[in-house]
Amino acid sequence: MSVLKAENVGISYKVNKQWIGAVREFGITVEPGEIYGIVGESGSGKSTIARGLIRYLPSNGRTEPGSRIEFLGEDISAAPPAQMRNIWGARMNLVPQNPMAALNPSIRIGKQIAELIGAHTDLSREAIMDRVIDGLERVNLADPEKLVERFPHEISGGQQQRVMIAMALSTSPKLLVLDEPTTALDVTTEAVILELVRDLIKEDETAAVYVTHNLGVVAQICDRVIVMYAGEIMADAPVYDLFYKPLHPYTIGLLNAIPQPGQTKRDRPLQTIPGRPPSLADLPQGCVYAPRCPLAIEICQTKPPLEAPEAGRLVRCHRWKELADGSINPRTVYATDEDAIITDTLDEEREPLLELDSLYKYFPTRRTVQDIIKGEKPSPVRAVDGVNMTVNRGRTYGLVGESGSGKTTLSKVVIGLFEKTGGEMILMGVELPAALRGRDRETLADLQMIFQNPQNSLNPYLTVGQSIRRPLMKLGGLSRTEAETEVRRLLKAVNLREEYATRYPNELSGGEKQRVAIARAFASNPMLILADEPVSALDVSVQSAVLNLLARLQKDRDAAYIFISHDLSVVSYLADYIAVMYLGHLVEVGEAQELHQPPLHPYTEALVSAIPIPDPARREDPVLLNENIPSARDIPSGCRFHTRCPRKIGAICETDAPPWRADGEGHYIRCHIPIDELIEAQRKTLPEVEHS
Amino acid sequence: MLHKEQNENLSRRRFLKIMAAGAAGAVIVSCTTPGATDEGEEGGSASTDTIRVAWGGAPSVLDPSQASADVEIAFLNAIYDYLIDTDADNTLVPRLATDWEVNEEGTVYTLTIAEGVTFHNGDPLTLDDVMWTLERLGSDESSAADLFGIIETMEADGNTLTITLSEPDADFLYTLADNRALILQANAEDIGNSFNGTGPFRLVEYITEDRAILEANPDYFAGAPTVGGLEFIYFPDTEAAVNALRSGTVDSVLRLDNPTFLGLSEEDLYQAVDVATNGHDLVRLRADREPGSDPNVRLAFKHATDRQAVFERVQLGFGALGRDNPIGPLYSRYYTEAFALPEHNPEMARQLLADAGYPDGLEMTLFVPNAPGRPELAQVLASQWAEAGINVTIEVQEESVYYGDDGWLEVDLGITPWGSRPIPQFYLDVAYKSGAMWNEAHFSDEELDALIEEAGATTDEAERVGLYEEIQRILIERGPVIIPYFFASFGVFAENVSGVAVHPFPGRTNFNNAVLA
Amino acid sequence: MDNIQRIVQGVLRFIRQLFGDPQTAVGTTIVLLFLFLAFFGNALAPYGANETGDIPVSAAPSTQHPFGTDTLGRDVFSRVMIGTSSIFQKAGLGTLLAVLIGTVIGLYIGYQGGWIDEATSRVIDALLAMPALLLALVILGVIRNLSLEQGSLQFLLARNSVLLVIAVVYVPIVARVVRSSTLEIKTREFVQAARIRGESLGYILFREIFPSVVPTLVVEASLRFSYAIFLVAALGFLGIGANPPTPDWGLMVEEARGGNYNIAPWALNFPAAAIALLVVGVNLMSDGIKNIVQKSE
Repeated sequence: MSVLKAENVGISYKVNKQWIGAVREFGITVEPGEIYGIVGESGSGKSTIARGLIRYLPSNGRTEPGSRIEFLGEDISAAPPAQMRNIWGARMNLVPQNPMAALNPSIRIGKQIAELIGAHTDLSREAIMDRVIDGLERVNLADPEKLVERFPHEISGGQQQRVMIAMALSTSPKLLVLDEPTTALDVTTEAVILELVRDLIKEDETAAVYVTHNLGVVAQICDRVIVMYAGEIMADAPVYDLFYKPLHPYTIGLLNAIPQPGQTKRDRPLQTIPGRPPSLADLPQGCVYAPRCPLAIEICQTKPPLEAPEAGRLVRCHRWKELADGSINPRTVYATDEDAIITDTLDEEREPLLELDSLYKYFPTRRTVQDIIKGEKPSPVRAVDGVNMTVNRGRTYGLVGESGSGKTTLSKVVIGLFEKTGGEMILMGVELPAALRGRDRETLADLQMIFQNPQNSLNPYLTVGQSIRRPLMKLGGLSRTEAETEVRRLLKAVNLREEYATRYPNELSGGEKQRVAIARAFASNPMLILADEPVSALDVSVQSAVLNLLARLQKDRDAAYIFISHDLSVVSYLADYIAVMYLGHLVEVGEAQELHQPPLHPYTEALVSAIPIPDPARREDPVLLNENIPSARDIPSGCRFHTRCPRKIGAICETDAPPWRADGEGHYIRCHIPIDELIEAQRKTLPEVEHS
Repeated sequence: MLHKEQNENLSRRRFLKIMAAGAAGAVIVSCTTPGATDEGEEGGSASTDTIRVAWGGAPSVLDPSQASADVEIAFLNAIYDYLIDTDADNTLVPRLATDWEVNEEGTVYTLTIAEGVTFHNGDPLTLDDVMWTLERLGSDESSAADLFGIIETMEADGNTLTITLSEPDADFLYTLADNRALILQANAEDIGNSFNGTGPFRLVEYITEDRAILEANPDYFAGAPTVGGLEFIYFPDTEAAVNALRSGTVDSVLRLDNPTFLGLSEEDLYQAVDVATNGHDLVRLRADREPGSDPNVRLAFKHATDRQAVFERVQLGFGALGRDNPIGPLYSRYYTEAFALPEHNPEMARQLLADAGYPDGLEMTLFVPNAPGRPELAQVLASQWAEAGINVTIEVQEESVYYGDDGWLEVDLGITPWGSRPIPQFYLDVAYKSGAMWNEAHFSDEELDALIEEAGATTDEAERVGLYEEIQRILIERGPVIIPYFFASFGVFAENVSGVAVHPFPGRTNFNNAVLA
Repeated sequence: MDNIQRIVQGVLRFIRQLFGDPQTAVGTTIVLLFLFLAFFGNALAPYGANETGDIPVSAAPSTQHPFGTDTLGRDVFSRVMIGTSSIFQKAGLGTLLAVLIGTVIGLYIGYQGGWIDEATSRVIDALLAMPALLLALVILGVIRNLSLEQGSLQFLLARNSVLLVIAVVYVPIVARVVRSSTLEIKTREFVQAARIRGESLGYILFREIFPSVVPTLVVEASLRFSYAIFLVAALGFLGIGANPPTPDWGLMVEEARGGNYNIAPWALNFPAAAIALLVVGVNLMSDGIKNIVQKSE
């Protein structure tokens, strides 16, 4: 019997006294041991339906009449809350995105899990405690006897998420809903959690609904997938079919928009989906995707039915047959941005723009009472701890590393938001003043920044035109009329229409906001742009357009980028060079394309192997790292990575700082293992790179 | 037109009420004073009763030589005795002194002290006690040192006390009747905390800020009180005291403000008594600098003021109309209405101002202490004066500020309340003579100075009457002051109370003849 | 041009929202009515504030005198009407002054941080620890009697003491609210972008951060205004907020209480009702503003 069987489910929210349908005509059947993915962009309704299926909606949400949700054969679509409270926790459980919001910060971990078990079983105290310990052991948490005594804030984010999973599984539920459980985690931690979830669900024969925006995660973990768009199912298919035989233009758009491992901007530009998702309050007539669909024809003005091309597959498109029979080539459905094709090569040596020489940035920490009692001076946070780096004109430098590695701090020291503690910064042969107020207008104009969160990077009370005009006049020295002209030119350069100049940020989508932020950064005609995770807050369909835009603007304007990202596939697509940062210093520097082949620093190797590859055929076991990242206040001796290194060769790693090793082609690795040995060892483990 | 009629009707009705209230007070006073002893004897059963008197305030100083407030004096007056008392008409009445004589020069006073008087502790009163008390009052630590400091020698002979003054003082008998002149036992200790007097009541218990419980002194030399006890109950304000009367927890409230008294008297549930006093609000303009230095300006203020309207609105008709000088109707021997007051005539005032060089009128600040009724007075004056082109800004100041740093003596235009005194000479000496300590108007008039000097020294009553009349004329004609009214003193009693005569200074009201029916 | 149109549209939409909810509509109507009186009460009043002439004293409410007359023979209806401007001047301008100063302080310390924030915040905490009325009394005690000399600066201060007191009492509260908003807003990336452009402190505070503080500020200001009305009335009642014969509502209540209440209760009841009505009105409106602002965020 299916664990969950839902038909014709509709969910609405009451917004401003009006009911808005967030999800319509949803259906799903989940079998025991099956991981069913629900994928979609923000606003697609994927989280809503996941919570709606377990009747766990906020107070302004409701399940539409006519919906049918069968859980273990019983219709719960109208079950009273009291009945649901018996089911929640016992037979169905939710793992949310943010474990810290779900765990009670003032109750010890062991007690929290024990309470849940105690509420749904008749076990004795001892038996419950045994189950708690067992559960924590199953999610590979070391030392569970000690862990149960700790409070949630005392452990790392990855450990918290593992506790959440242990808790969710502690009552042996029949159904588990996971709502973006790894989105807030580092890629290395994500890999650990994904493997854990996959193994445990298979083992327990639990049915799981896994909500994510990340196609790589879907490919790695799910058995079946539903693609949602604007509250409707676009496609429902086994994971392999979805990736290899997509029958919906939207699915194709999503797949083509993400860089494949090894793909770079020099190979070919990413395909982009034009337009933006519709407002749920104002849905288009007919196919909801038609306004953005390059295949849309007249018939698409009528609503397409959800058809079954074959058993176990559903698709909502008038033209699926043409895709199925091959008369439409999925590769050419979306236009390629011709302007974004890069033709130059890295062979040409460019002159240095910015040179960093043993750059340091320490943050003093407050003395705690303990410090005062012990008479100790607290050690500072060594966020940037001796970085040497040269940035050449017109090139892109990808800076990667887990959170806490110091990459954002490094960029803020360069831009002047933080003042360096030591070392030198040379911009075009001239010492770069540490403080912003010490920098003249030209220097300020030369360095610009693009921020991660488009929501916050524009002042909500200034129009787009005002935001872009300011640096033009302040740094570019343009008159007002000149600036107006330039604003229009810049908007055009970032593919926005001129009338956007009079709009306010709240009228723009996330991608549009980020384009405006990019236009603003380019307004002063900078030599170097620091981009801190500029696409990580964007949806896949928007992300590719922004990446293409960055590539094209660099080509047109010859600006250098320092591009910071935790997403290695994005970095290796856009960057010419890669610098890998760990605990405040660089461990590897080289050309971006070398990132996917040996030799690699063991840390880089782990990062690369942890990327969830958007290909269900390639589910290799990643190199798993433990999550105990040492504190930047207390950096390990010898090789900083030795506490987590899977390739640690012995005591030397703990005592001696490793040397920089060069492969002779501008590729440097800071490791005790000789280059040849690294190549030898990694040839066996690293995933093959698809060359196109 | 309608306004006018309503106005007249209302004020007429008001006046009838006021007249009735005054009459009721007179009944109590007249019927009890002569027949006091009769009633006292007859009401033997009532003598176990206690009369409860409420005050809107509590004593802070209970040393007789320092006390000043009504509550304080009332407490002391019940426990101690004066040599000479005053009655509601300001007439001197014997108390411990049964008789007195003055020599012609007004320098030697001979008193006969009652015999058989005992203190509450059983000791008999001797002349040593009296002399010790008077010496103490004349010493530096006493606030009455000025008054008693002129005693040069005292001689005791049997029950006769002869006091010789260092300089003539026609009013020394009034000094002996001063609020503070309560007779203590010689060498009394802990004065102000332990109370051993000769008075009609003995202290049973004193609870600070709450109440004083007193019992009748059966050995009182003038006869035991007609009530068994007296209780003073202290409330934070008049309103609370009145509420206590309404609820029946007290039998009497003394010292009320005009509107509260009017409200109570209109209720017809109580005996409301008002007594004329010589206390008054002094509205004065500094005469030693502009604009008050010009007699025309001073006259303009007088013409701009409608005293009758002020009297009605602020005093609500209680007390007496003033005549711009401190000699009020209470001093019936000296008071005269022979001289016409400048009539209320805003146009004339305007003209006078123009003559004085202020064709556009005056802009001034009127300083007023924040005491009940005074801001109202200021507002009524301000609106009257505005008609004559005198525009004043009212500055209400806390009393501590108004009197602090002698600010009240400095300002150009101010209102100062003056308390009731048994004799008029006091006001003239301290506030109207050139250079006098409290001459707040800074008025300096040679003719007036001479008259005041003469009046203070003469013991010839007829001559003094003439001098005081002249003084009244001068102040009415050219004085820098407006005295629009004299206050009334109020007492309200439950229907069953009789035998209490409200004193112009409420603290001097005697309760030993009180009767509770 | 475009901006002005936008602002006008925004204001119109705001007003429409104010009248969209019945409670808010009632509150806004009350406030607007009093605001109207604040401007035109003087012209519309049937009698002068201190006119006594032929008016009977302590007359009960009648068609001639809808609110009766007080013990000095002044028309209470006229005094309440004319007094509206006094309460709006003191509470309104005082609040405005507090908002202006508090905003500048809050923006500055919130943005700068460090010891200056630490020190100022401690001072603010200390001031906030004192009850508003007590603080007001202390300040009034100092400035009210600064000088008796007409025309001097001190005299001017003393004359406008209540306005200043409202400002001083509410500056710390406004500053704290603005500070906490600023602390959050300054971390937003558009502020960092401005710093990177080398913008001056003033530009960052007032052009970049300030607009985002405005919604919070509007809510706080309307709340402060309602408390200020109370404070002005309380100070008037204590006899230190206004000088007679100003038709200040609190002062009117004070003058009409005690014994006067027995003979002219209406002289107390009507100004007291006016205070209550205006406070309720402002509170209802301020609640509505809060809802609107929260909804739009």
